[in-house]
Parts: sequence; structure tokens; C-alpha cells
Amino acid sequence: MSNNSSAISVNNLWQVFGPNPEKIVDSPDAALPRAELREKTGNTAAVRDVSFDVAPGEVFVVMGLSGSGKSTLVRCLTRLIEPTSGSVVLDGEDIMKANDARLRELRRTKFSMVFQNFGLLPHRKVIDNIAFALEVNGVSKEKRHARANEVIELVGLQGFAYAYPEQLSGGMQQRVGLARALAVDPEVMFLDEPFSALDPLIRRDMQTEVIRLHEELGKTMVFITHDLSEALKLGDRIAIMRDGAVVQMGTAEELIANPADAYVEDFTRDVPKSHVLTVRTIARPLADSETATGRTIPADTVIRDATAAVLDANGPVGVVEGGNIIGYIKSRDILQVVGGGTHA
Amino acid sequence: MSVRTEPAIKIAPKSIRRSWILGGLLIIWVAVAQILQGKATLELAVPDNSKFTAWAGEVADSIRDNRNDGLAFKYFFNPIREFIDGFVNIIREFIAIPNGSSSIPVLGWLGVISLIGFVVFAVSNVRMAFAAMALTFACGALGLWTDSMDTLAMTFAAVILSLAIGIPVGIWAGLSDRVLKVVTPILDLAQILPTLVYLAPLALVFLIGPASATIATMVYSIPIAVRLTAFGIRGVPTSPVEAGTSMGTTKRQLLRKVQLPMSSRTIIMGINQTVMAALSFVVIAALIGAPGLGKPVIDALIIRNVGDGFVAGIAVVLIAIMLDRSTSAAITKKETFVPPSEADRKRRKLALIIAGITAIVGIVLSRQMVWAAFFPKQIDISSQVANVSDFAVTWVTENLELLTAGLSKAVTVGVLNPLESILANSPWYLTITMITLISLILGGVRSAIVSATLLIAVVATGLWYDTMITFTQTIVATMLTMIVGVIVGVWIGRSVRAERALRPILDAGQTLPAFVYLIPMLGFFGPSRFTAIATGIVYSIPIVVKIVGQGIREVPVNMVEAATSTGSTKWQLITKVQLPAAKKSLLLATNQGLIFVLAVVVIGGFVGGGGLGYLVLLGSSKPELQGKGLVAGFCILLLGVMIDRIAQYMVARNSAPKH
Ligand SMILES: Nc1ncnc2c1ncn2[C@@H]1O[C@H](COP(=O)(O)OP(=O)(O)OP(=O)(O)O)[C@@H](O)[C@H]1O
Ligand SMILES: [Mg+2]
Repeated sequence: MSNNSSAISVNNLWQVFGPNPEKIVDSPDAALPRAELREKTGNTAAVRDVSFDVAPGEVFVVMGLSGSGKSTLVRCLTRLIEPTSGSVVLDGEDIMKANDARLRELRRTKFSMVFQNFGLLPHRKVIDNIAFALEVNGVSKEKRHARANEVIELVGLQGFAYAYPEQLSGGMQQRVGLARALAVDPEVMFLDEPFSALDPLIRRDMQTEVIRLHEELGKTMVFITHDLSEALKLGDRIAIMRDGAVVQMGTAEELIANPADAYVEDFTRDVPKSHVLTVRTIARPLADSETATGRTIPADTVIRDATAAVLDANGPVGVVEGGNIIGYIKSRDILQVVGGGTHA
Repeated sequence: MSVRTEPAIKIAPKSIRRSWILGGLLIIWVAVAQILQGKATLELAVPDNSKFTAWAGEVADSIRDNRNDGLAFKYFFNPIREFIDGFVNIIREFIAIPNGSSSIPVLGWLGVISLIGFVVFAVSNVRMAFAAMALTFACGALGLWTDSMDTLAMTFAAVILSLAIGIPVGIWAGLSDRVLKVVTPILDLAQILPTLVYLAPLALVFLIGPASATIATMVYSIPIAVRLTAFGIRGVPTSPVEAGTSMGTTKRQLLRKVQLPMSSRTIIMGINQTVMAALSFVVIAALIGAPGLGKPVIDALIIRNVGDGFVAGIAVVLIAIMLDRSTSAAITKKETFVPPSEADRKRRKLALIIAGITAIVGIVLSRQMVWAAFFPKQIDISSQVANVSDFAVTWVTENLELLTAGLSKAVTVGVLNPLESILANSPWYLTITMITLISLILGGVRSAIVSATLLIAVVATGLWYDTMITFTQTIVATMLTMIVGVIVGVWIGRSVRAERALRPILDAGQTLPAFVYLIPMLGFFGPSRFTAIATGIVYSIPIVVKIVGQGIREVPVNMVEAATSTGSTKWQLITKVQLPAAKKSLLLATNQGLIFVLAVVVIGGFVGGGGLGYLVLLGSSKPELQGKGLVAGFCILLLGVMIDRIAQYMVARNSAPKH
């Protein structure tokens, strides 16, 4: 599974809280539902046997209900919590083998985190919050403030450099959190439900902000959320967790088109499918009674965007992938998805 | 509500059964005690020693003889003593006693007042600075300048040493669970240890004098500094700590840049409490040679001179107010993390410079001019204050005789004597059996074992009778404290307005040294057992009221609303809902009340209370009774531990089913 060109490669990661965590890993007990496991052994398996790879520049989203182990997982990746077992390879380096000094260095330069409740230091000005990682790394005041001012501009906090966190609104505080994570120019950013504490309008702004930053800077991101629409907006791939384990992983389209089980389906139920699925998923062979119109449409067009063209065509439209027609769709196929009738 | 009533129904028959057994037991006890009155009481006449106390006296003597040559003394105790004596003297020479060959301290009175004004201004504000200067000046006007300065110097020395140890240990305990686990029982023990207990043993090792007094004060105040520092560090929200770690801080950077700045408010609060604890102890430590205001207080108490006692007591109160207000003003100033604006800061800087220059002028004057060096003798209102307080006390005792003598007599005849006849004047085996049975019922097997063991240990020391006298007074004082405390506590728990009105009084009551309360009580009630009891009550009411009020306030609103909606009267609401729901707080308040009362009742031995406290006092002045004094201190400790254990087991028992 591990892949040398991955930015992050996680293999068989376990995190068990309790009196004898090692014993649980890979034991038959580990398969027990969480409540039973706790009843029987006093341990909680917060993360069980999780493996995945994240490509450089990818935004990898982890979703799951409250308590499913998302925060624990992301903290294991930076060893804020010491994993019980498994390996985490970041940029070719096994961070489980890093000693304290190396771990600190990695944290100061290679990866950074954004937290749900911001985690700002109330006794420091915005600029000193942002420059904190540089400061602990011994960067001179002049240099770190210059860098902090750059990222302040990047996240749109001009004019607030010398304010204190408690003088800012929630949205602005999280911009400080983002700026702080960006200040070290990390290779990987971990964001643990960064926008959950914000109200919907500000949340949308911040999501747009993150998309923009991602486009501008191309950072690899691991993004935790329990909001599917957020996941769809930001994520290249999504992993869905339940009770500490990953139940399904794939693009938004794959998850919606083929949910692995009822839990995943539950997650995807409220999403307007036409906004996510591409025409590829509903392309079908031409029926005998039909004749192609000669019009075509690229296979990765989202159904919603294809609607006008297909309805206009007055007959089956070819779906093209790699120069070949892989199937046809008609207005009725589209209406079925939009109307929410059957699953593709 | 339905969830709550179910266990209540199940428990009801059990608790009814329990109170029946208790009642029966008490009746039997009273009856048997009546029959066996005066038998096997183990009473030991004051000038006599028991085998054990005589042995303790010999041990004390051998320790004393060993003081110059013993290895432990030569290489451990004596160097510590010399270091602390030296340290204390440097500070005393600065403000209190003649410095070297000069006839005045480094700072004369004007210099001290200027410096106090400047320091208080720097940590809080102008108003506090002037108040602090006025309060210090008033101490001089009471004719007690040197004693006040000595008390200040002793307090200051003890605080510096206590913080130097307490803050690092507190930080350590804040960061490490293992360290916290080790220090917690020590801190708990220190908290229930009545102050009088460790004075004599320390004096035995470190001699009578400032060193012993300072060490005793440190024993008392270090736990407070440790506790609040650890509490502050642990109270820092996890998210900034986690964020700091995620950015690659070292442990030291995390502590310095995140944890310490974010817990500074709690730590300053700890400093405030450490200062207040040190002050109150420095006063009591006069018993083992602490210079300062404690000495005139004790002298006045012993020769029953209420007027002079008042003068010294007022000086203690003035210093207490000054220290408390100026250190807690520093806390309120730090409410927000946002510093003042640039302009404000400039203005303040200017003000500080002006204040600094003024202070320097005052200091220089106080070193050059006689009038600024020695506090002017013409300004002395001590005799007026003494006369006024004498007059006031006489007036009260004459005109409100019903209240003072009547109250004293009612409690003594109505409660104290009967209880004493049961606990102290009946056979010791009866008392032990009954206390053990009662703690079995109230606190369970473990508490019964603890009580029996500790009581038998008391019998073995030979001071059984005196211990029971002290125990009786403690129980009576605690009962009265609880009656008043619960009434007032319920009141402030239910009324925000009452709470707001009483809070400053309660806070003030908690900061004053216990000793100070003895003076007016002695005036009102004369030398008697009731004086000790009354002082214990006055001293412990604030803490009891606060805990009860808190407990009542924390009763869930929906419980109260549900009861109100079923048409309960106010009385029913209080007795059937709020008090039962606040049961845990009531137990906790009783526990605290007992511990506070015990500490004071013992001191009350000085003013006619008798019992163990009197023996401790005698032991420190009569060499042939020093063993007895030491053992009496030990018995106080046993009593304190027993009371605390029973109460703890009761709390544990009563809160267990809830979770
Ligand atoms: N330090 C700990 N000790 C014991 N159990 C823990 C600890 N931290 C987390 N857990 C348990 O691990 C499980 C996963 O918690 P986690 O915080 O990772 O969930 P989450 O998916 O982030 O939830 P949320 O959406 O609420 O943030 C929970 O059952 C939690 O109780
Ligand atoms: Mg979480």
C-alpha cells in the first residue's frame, strides 16, 4: 500500500486508550464494538487499523460522526498523541522513528496544525501568535515578523497584526490559526474541524479562503470535518470513519455512487447527487429504439452542468472519455438523478 | 425527577434505620455515662507527667543536648537555621531593627512608607498606594512601628522562601501526574494540621527565634503556594498547550511561553493567599520567638489586658488589610490579556517615574533626618485606642450582660457541661467504644478502625482527659458554627443580594489571623471555656457559610423549579429539596468547620479554655512540662486526623451512590 511518491503514507495505525493498549491491537477483541470492548477490557480503540496514502498537493478529507476517532487520528499523525502501533511516513521519513529533537524540528518546519477551538495564545498579539513556531525555532524577531506580515496579508488580516486574539471575532481568530499554520511554509497541513465553531456564513467564507490558499500554495492537506458539503467542496478524496476504523475511502463521486454500507449512505443522503456525480456514472449503452444525436459531452462533467446541454439535445448524447464514446445519456436519465429517484 | 426519586425511596428505610440505631446508641451512652460518672477518666493533674510525657521530655532533653555536636545538627539543622536567621535578619535590618553600627534600620519610617507606596502603586493603582501608606502609618500611630515592621519583615522573609520552594514544586506538580500524586497527601495533611502542633517540635530542633518561626510559617504557607500553582498550571486550557506542542516547542518553551503566562492569574492568587497565611502564622509564631506584633498580642492575652490586646490586634488587622488589598489588586488588574493602550502606558510610565522619585526622596530623607527616621513619638494614639476598647468592652458586658454572660452560661451549662460529662468524665473505654460504633455507622468499617486506633493511641499518651476536653469544645463550637453557618449559607445561597452584601465581610473574616479574634472574645466573655468556643465559631463561620452557600446555589435549577411547580412552601423547598441536594456541601462544610474550629479552640487554651492547647502553652514555658506540651501537640494532631477521616469517609459514602 505504501507508496514512495506519497506525501503521507499511513499503515495499520492503531490508537487504543486504556490500561493495556498493546494487547488490543490485532487481537480478536479489537473487532468488538467499542462499547463492548470497553466493558470487557477497559480500553477504547479510538483508531483501529487505519491505512491510507495522500498524494502531494492533495486535500484528503476525513469524515465521521462525533467520537469516531478523527481527532485522535490526526493527532497520531503528528504524534501529539503517541500511536499504539503502526507507521506514519511523511515525505519518505518514518516519523514513528523520530526522536524528540527530530520530532520538534519536523513540527517547526514540515507540518502544521489548525485546531477546532483555534488554540491561540491569548497573551500574545496576533503577529506573535503567527510567528510562534518561528520564534521557538530561534528565528530572529525581525525575520519572523516579516514572515508573519506576509501570511497576515495572505489570509486577509491586514491591520490586525497588533491586536490580541480576544479582540477578534471567531472567524478572524481562525484566520490567525490558519496564518499561524502557514507561517512556517509547511509541506503538510492538518486541519481538525477548523470551521465547526464558526457560524454558517463565515464558515463559507473560510472554506473559499482555504480553496484559494490551496490553489495558490498547493499544500498537501489533511482536513477533518463532519460536514459532508464541506468535504465535497474541499476534498479530492474522502475517508469515512466509524468507531475508529475507515469504512470507505474514495472520491466524493465514488462514495455517493457506491456507498459501502448504510452508514456511508446515511452520510451522503442529503447531498444533491446532481452536484457531485458526473455523467460517467449514468452513461449507458444505446437502447435499440434510440438513435444518437451526434452531440457529445466530456465524461467528467458534473450532471448539473450537463443538464442544459442534454435537455437541449432532444435525444441521447454521447459521453466521451479519452476520445471514445463510453455510453449515452438522455434527458430522462438526468431528470431521474435530479428528481432523486433511483441511485445510479 | 422520576430518575431521582427512585433511589431515594430505596435508601429511605436504610437511613431511617440508621438514625434509629444512632438514637438508641446515644441514649445508652448517656445512661451508662451517668452511672459510671467520674470513673476511669484518666485525668492527669496539670503539673504531673504521665510515663509517656515524661519519656517525651527526656527525648526532648537529649535532642537539646545533642544540638551542638550531633551530626544531624552540625551538618543539617544548624546550617539551615543559620541561613534562615541570616536571611531574616537582612530583611529585618532593612526596615525593622538597627542596621549594623547605625541606630536605625536601612530605611526610617518615612522611607518604608515611601517604598510601600511605590511598590503598591507599581503593582496596582494610586488609590491602593495611598491606602497602603495610610494603613502603615496608622500602625506607627498605634505606637507599634517597630513591631509592625518586624511582622512585615518576618512575613516578607517567609513569603519569599515559601514561594522559592512552593512555586517550583507547584509547577512540577502541575506538569507531572506522578509528582502531584506524591505531594497531594502531604498538602492535605498540612491543611488539617492545627498550627499549634508543630511549633514546639520545630523550636526543639531550630531553637526559639526567627528561624524556627520562619520555618513554621513556611510549613504552613508552602502547601498553599504549591496547591494554587499546580492548580493554575493544570487549569490552562488544553488547546493552546496542544497548539504550542504542535509547533514544536520544547518542554521549557511550552512552560515559559504558554503555561506560565496563561496561569499567571491563579499563581498571583496563590501568592496573595501565601502572604495572608504567612502573616497569620507569623503572629502565632511569636510563641516560638517570632519578633513582631504577635508578642504584644500574646502578652495581652496571657495577662488578660484587653485594651493593649486590642491595640496590637488592630495593628495586625491593618497590616492584613494592606497586604491583602495590595496583592489582590494585582489580580484584578490582570483580568484581560490585552495590555493598556500606548498612550495609557506612557502616562503610567510617567506616573511611575514621579512616584519613584518621590519614594527616593522619602528614602533619602529617612536616612538623613531624625524626624523621618524614628516614628514621631508625639503621634501615639495607643492609649486612646486602648481606653476606647476597654470602655466599649465594659459597656457591652455591663449593658448587654444578658447577651454575653447569658450566652456564655447557656452554652456552658446547656451543652458544654453535659457533653463534657459524657465524653471526658465517663470511663475512657465507654467513650472509645461509643465513638467507634458511631463512626462505624456514619463512615463505615474503615473509619471505625481509624477512630479506634487513634483514640487508643491517645489513651497511651496519658493525655486522654485533656484530649476529650478539647474534643468536647470542638464539637460544641462546630455544632453552633453549623447552625449559624447553615442559616446564613442558605440565605446567601438563595439570595444574590445577600451574597453580594456579605461576601466582603466573609472574605475579610477569612484573611484575619485567628489570634486576633481572641481579643474581643476575651473582653466579652472573660477567661473561660466559652471564650475558646466563641472564637472558634467566629473564625470558622465564613468558610462554612461560603461552602453551604455555594452548595445551595449549585442545586440544579430544574429540581427547584419542579418542587416549586408542585406547590412547595419556601420552608419545604429548603428542607426537602435544597438542603438534601446540597448534602455533600454540608458534609464538606462540617469537615472544614471542625478543622478550623479545632485549630482555634486549641489556641483558646491560652484564655481559659484548658485542654490540650493550655498544655502546649505550659510546655513552652515550663521546662519540666515540655514533654507534656509536645505530646499535647501530638494529641491535637491525632484528634485532627480522626475528625478529618470520619468526615472524609462520610463524604465518600454519601456521594458514592450518586455516580
Ligand atoms: N485521552 C483519551 N483517553 C481515553 N479515551 C479517549 C481519549 N481521547 C479520545 N478518546 C476516545 O476516543 C474516541 C474518539 O475520540 P475523538 O476525539 O478522536 O473523536 P472525533 O471523531 O474527533 O469526535 P468529534 O467529532 O466529537 O471531535 C472517543 O470515544 C473518545 O472518548
Ligand atoms: Mg474531534
